[in-house]
Amino acid sequence: MDLSIDVVNERDKLIAVLVGEVDVYTAPKLKESLLFLVKKEQTMLEVDMTGVSYMDSTGLGVIISVLKAAKEHESQLRLSNLQDSVMRLFHITGLDKVIDISVSIREGR
Amino acid sequence: MDVAKIDINSYRDLLKKYIDHQDESSLYGAEQMSKAFIKNHILPDEIVSLHIQSLMELYPSLSQDIQNSMRFLLETMIYYGLAHQEYQALRENQLALRSEISLAANVQTTLLKTDKPDIEGLDIGVISMPAHQMNGDYYHFIKGKQDSLGIAVADVVGKGIPAALCMSMIKYSMDILEEEAMMPAKILKYLNRVVERNVDASMFITMFYAQYTPTDNLLRYASAGHEPGFFYCAQTDTFSEIETKGLVLGVLPDSAYPSYEQKINKGDMIILLTDGVTECRRGNEFIKREEVLDVIKQYMHLPAQDIVNHVYKYFERLQDFQLRDDFTLVILRREV
Amino acid sequence: MEKSCVSIKIELDIVAARQLGRELAKQVGFSVVDQARFATAVSELARNIYLYADQGEISFDIIKNMNQSGLRLTATDKGPGIRDISQVMQDGYTTSGGLGAGLPGVRRLMDDFDIISEENIGTTVTVVKWKR
Repeated sequence: MDLSIDVVNERDKLIAVLVGEVDVYTAPKLKESLLFLVKKEQTMLEVDMTGVSYMDSTGLGVIISVLKAAKEHESQLRLSNLQDSVMRLFHITGLDKVIDISVSIREGR
Repeated sequence: MDVAKIDINSYRDLLKKYIDHQDESSLYGAEQMSKAFIKNHILPDEIVSLHIQSLMELYPSLSQDIQNSMRFLLETMIYYGLAHQEYQALRENQLALRSEISLAANVQTTLLKTDKPDIEGLDIGVISMPAHQMNGDYYHFIKGKQDSLGIAVADVVGKGIPAALCMSMIKYSMDILEEEAMMPAKILKYLNRVVERNVDASMFITMFYAQYTPTDNLLRYASAGHEPGFFYCAQTDTFSEIETKGLVLGVLPDSAYPSYEQKINKGDMIILLTDGVTECRRGNEFIKREEVLDVIKQYMHLPAQDIVNHVYKYFERLQDFQLRDDFTLVILRREV
Repeated sequence: MEKSCVSIKIELDIVAARQLGRELAKQVGFSVVDQARFATAVSELARNIYLYADQGEISFDIIKNMNQSGLRLTATDKGPGIRDISQVMQDGYTTSGGLGAGLPGVRRLMDDFDIISEENIGTTVTVVKWKR
């Protein structure tokens, strides 16, 4: 399955809307897109995962490297609207304690 | 027509025969010749050249236009020749790589080798199968004083060669630990530092580390974001998930890991696994975690090693004999 | 010994270099296939100059040793140079063209192959094809 990444500009933040599966095949594309966004200093990036039905450990690796890059560039990373199966993965790995995960209702949609 | 000759005379004669008779047997001869060309690495441009030469010998007064058109054809074949040669070279490379990887896999097997220890009163079953040639899962047994047993089950993000390389690092870090003196939580804290310092930002490792001491029948354990295993209580005949907190190895430089304890009574089982077990797919659907337990229940009357073998076979078949992820399952059962 | 050269600035110069290369190949007595192969190598090297170095030069020498004669082709440019020659000489590595193209293709078309390149200074490729 494929992964689509759409970036929306919303007032004070960028929202990356993901739809599809994040796995070994789609992870490189996701990594490239998200790293590019947080490497701009002081970016607030929200990754909307409403449409992500599956994520494997490679996907988690991408999120971790984006988180590390965000810290380096004084940017912020937030994940929103995780499906239960994906949320479970963040919970098991303890990553829900180090990554800002929230349920947000997007404005203007 | 045994072995087709591919010299100019044979080609010319066959061509002549076909032009005169348009017979199927000449075309069959052409087919044999075509195979011989490939076998002898004759390039398309050389074949066209052979054709031109034959034509000129058969029809010395061939029109200049036709001759020119043949030259044109020859020119268009040059890159096909190059592409064919490159393809051949890449194919040979691929074979060489494949055998190199299989050598590396052997090295890895030797490096990461851990013997299933013999411990009085403890029945141990273990299986670890890579999805590809090299395994990114890892399990390790350390036998300590008074028959105490350390067990590590770990999974590196991703699979294949990068995961396997990373695993070797973990194995060595564990080897230099004074394992007897250390509690699971402390071991994980130490390994986290090693991983955090030494691997790429997108790499991480999950690990469950447990220590069993037969003197007090206590299992002490800690987990670094690892797929939860199960505890089977013989008295109540129930399974429960082993709940832990703890961040995966390699994300923060100073992660701490809470430690837990579990009393192990006679007949109780500890089931440790990696997500290759719980993330099996049936077609496009993931199996439920409970399904793993259902399969284990079916074979619970058998020795631990037979249980893990049967569970593996079950899921291997379920996935059409093509593992999607490395698969590791460890079962410990207290016998007396 | 004869020497002749074509400077490469625009795409049409590639055609001129091919033409000169083919004429010389004929003169040395190459077979029709080898003429075509030599012209293809000229084309590939001239194209590299045109695409990556803006301008450069392709020159030819007819050479003889004790028992054979051949044609040497030298492609010189003052372009950006090649940082990792081993990499561009690998099969499957190509920034344009696809299967069969690039320097590995040129090496296959010719008998002798040599390349010297320095970053920001330029590249010289020298190849020889002997008459069979």
